[in-house]
Amino acid sequence: MEESPSCPSLSEIFWAFLRIGLTAFGGSTQAWAYRYVVEQRHWLSDRQFVAGFGVAQVLPGSNPLNTALYVGLQLRGGLGALVAAGAMVLPAFCVILLMGYAYRRFGGAPTAHVILGGVAAVGTGATLSVGAKLARRLSIALWQWLIAGATFLAIGILRWPLIPVVLLAVPLSIVLSYRFEPRS
Amino acid sequence: MTNRLLALILVFAPFSLTSFGGGQAIIASIDHQAVEVHHWLTHQEFTDLFALSRAAPGPSTLIAALIGWQVDGFWGALVATVAIFLPSSILFVALTRLWIRYEGSRLSSAITRGLAPVTVGLVFAGALAVIQSAHMSLLQIAITMIAAALLYFTSVGPFVLIGGVIAFYSALLVLDTKLLL
Repeated sequence: MEESPSCPSLSEIFWAFLRIGLTAFGGSTQAWAYRYVVEQRHWLSDRQFVAGFGVAQVLPGSNPLNTALYVGLQLRGGLGALVAAGAMVLPAFCVILLMGYAYRRFGGAPTAHVILGGVAAVGTGATLSVGAKLARRLSIALWQWLIAGATFLAIGILRWPLIPVVLLAVPLSIVLSYRFEPRS
Repeated sequence: MTNRLLALILVFAPFSLTSFGGGQAIIASIDHQAVEVHHWLTHQEFTDLFALSRAAPGPSTLIAALIGWQVDGFWGALVATVAIFLPSSILFVALTRLWIRYEGSRLSSAITRGLAPVTVGLVFAGALAVIQSAHMSLLQIAITMIAAALLYFTSVGPFVLIGGVIAFYSALLVLDTKLLL
């Protein structure tokens, strides 16, 4: 451990991820998790979180769920992972079934759809702000910026398939980190 | 266990382990299985459920719950959700434990540092993909930018922002402006 993280109880983890799960509109789970777990509670360091965020994206499985599993695992081991993932999925599961019910009962409900579109836009904004924060906190090596930029270009702009890009970028980036270990 | 629940497991559990990079990767294959192979729903219904799963909070992979509900009610929803989440979660926890155990070793810290720039690239690519696939209106793009700036520079929380947007949209709807189109 590079920083001594305070050790939250299982119920603190539960409430944290219940809150994160209920506000995670527009794919913003990781953004709200970062804000709460790193910025507000200091349960994990920046570096621990961003690494877990990376593993969560690279390994199979839903990225939000993997992020919850990672945070829980770091904080309280296997039980922490179970609690974090359960607290995040449970409310989302209930909400989506309610929405499914409302959809079948009342049809498309255009008004609700318009409002949810606005709420999703907040989620996208949250994701952008976390991307900017993480970018700012990258150590300043040029090769890191090149890898970040190339990954964005390949996936975001050129729409190359994710798996080969990640299979190339991740090992390359790890080898470079290993080679250019920062002087400490 | 009924045949329908078994069919849900057989469809969703393999997708769980092949969803590299998250839920987007498997949506087209789920569509194919649910509509063309099993005739659980029509293409139009799938498209509607997909939109719902994007609008709801939490992982968009929860579309599995909606399809499961269509197939076999509550138990279908529960079984499909467990099938899509459990296999990948077990794999994730097993691999991550191994990595955490060696935390502090030179290789482990190289992995930690090496993942960071790829993650940053993927975060921005993901945000761009959402902006493009949601066909955001100018108002939505403005909200995205304002929310990003507020979250970057201030310590405002999610409930304030989401509540603010709901209030703002409700006001626009009441005033019946053309801004929302």
